[in-house]
Amino acid sequence: MSNYEGKRVVVTGGTSGIGLATAKLLDAGGARVLVTGRTPASLTAAAAALGPRALVDDRDVADVDGLAEHAAAAFGGVDLLMLNAGATGGAAIEDTTGEQYDDLFAVNTRAPFFTVQRFVPLLPPGSAVVLTTSIANRKGIPGTSVYSATKAALRSMTRTFAAELVDRGIRVNAVSPGPVDTGILERSMPAEAASEFLAAQRAVNPMRRLGEPEEIAKAIIFLAFDATYTTGAELTVDGGASQL
Amino acid sequence: MGRYDGKTAVITGGSSGLGLAAARHLVDEGARVLVTGRTQETLDDAAAQLGGRAIAVRSDTSSLTEIDTLAERVRAEFGTVDALVVNAGIGSFDPFDEVTERTFDDVFAINTKGPFFTVQKLAPLMTEGSGVVLTTSTANQTGWDALSVYSASKAALRSMARTLSRELLPRGIRVNAVSPGSIDTGKLEKEVPERAAELKAAFTASNPMQRFGQPSEFAPAVAFLAFDATFVAGIELVVDGGDSQL
Repeated sequence: MSNYEGKRVVVTGGTSGIGLATAKLLDAGGARVLVTGRTPASLTAAAAALGPRALVDDRDVADVDGLAEHAAAAFGGVDLLMLNAGATGGAAIEDTTGEQYDDLFAVNTRAPFFTVQRFVPLLPPGSAVVLTTSIANRKGIPGTSVYSATKAALRSMTRTFAAELVDRGIRVNAVSPGPVDTGILERSMPAEAASEFLAAQRAVNPMRRLGEPEEIAKAIIFLAFDATYTTGAELTVDGGASQL
Repeated sequence: MGRYDGKTAVITGGSSGLGLAAARHLVDEGARVLVTGRTQETLDDAAAQLGGRAIAVRSDTSSLTEIDTLAERVRAEFGTVDALVVNAGIGSFDPFDEVTERTFDDVFAINTKGPFFTVQKLAPLMTEGSGVVLTTSTANQTGWDALSVYSASKAALRSMARTLSRELLPRGIRVNAVSPGSIDTGKLEKEVPERAAELKAAFTASNPMQRFGQPSEFAPAVAFLAFDATFVAGIELVVDGGDSQL
């Protein structure tokens, strides 16, 4: 296990799935971790899974000022800002409502944008931002038009943020997970539909399996701390699904 | 205790530059490494620098016979291979009009054909869960002056990362590419001494980080793809200061 002693880490959407796996690896490596989440059961589970040093914050992703203030008060600065909070869901184009559209863009695109904006003053030279995108941002998967577009926008921001922050020594990269068994789908669609979708993903995946949250977490940690000459990039962790 | 204790790695073109930096990183983390190169003196230097866990073997990647010999040697030394880093390659900086058939064939022989057959001959030694890493280049996606043959040879290699992944995944072998941008390996000074200073100034000025990368910044990307990226196949990971991305 690598040593992240003294590193200060904020993970939005850090109480379950990929975000929690990332927080756990870093917490175990000695980092100070602040995670956010919304689901009461996940908040409790995350507090138990992480060490006593970790901070668990239940604020809404839209409260970007509050989160920045919390991080500033707790840590002073931030070495890794991991923007992983996101919502899935969606419907066929003719069934998508304005409210669904706005909700997805608010959580997946608008909140990350303003979170980065508010955190810039806390990010020292040598720090990193990692954004969770999705392989859906380059594919045409029926029923995901809005979700995919929110992630495509986020992938684009990765490039522009990287360009605007490179002179301050802040790197910005994206990690693009393919199908991972995180439980998030079951929260946005009926369990049966979710398990059908995952079985189909497993069958078509070149590795014939789903990813584990820890496998995405390792990519995030690589981008955050080891990839010192990489910025604006998107690292795909999908069993080869979008590549082969 | 290293992260890669007990692992075996083969790195072609591992006696200098990017390959040597990758070898040093893996050796430092506990792996046993076999590096290849074409120049005995460079190989001797590399062996001395890398210490007892490394073996340096002379092998010309443009010769299929030598690739066969290399595979035999790897089998004798390691038995099995956990990471194969196909890094041997040459630059070529001739304007399109001046490219000769000889140059074209040499560059493709070393940058494309050699890597293809290196994977073919070593794949039977690779363990389930092992990784192949191909060194491509950000040039394969852009149009730089005087890089037509080099860029095309690397574009072909990038393509192989996809197809070889598909063919080798059933055996549990992942294939990915790492794509360096401007890394300070000393190769420019060696290959185009008269233009090196001018090219380095131009690449530095146009790079978003306003600098060249160090070989030591490339090495962790190789190690990550070879060992840690267990749900990653067919990708190209760029290490270029943002040059191809922004």
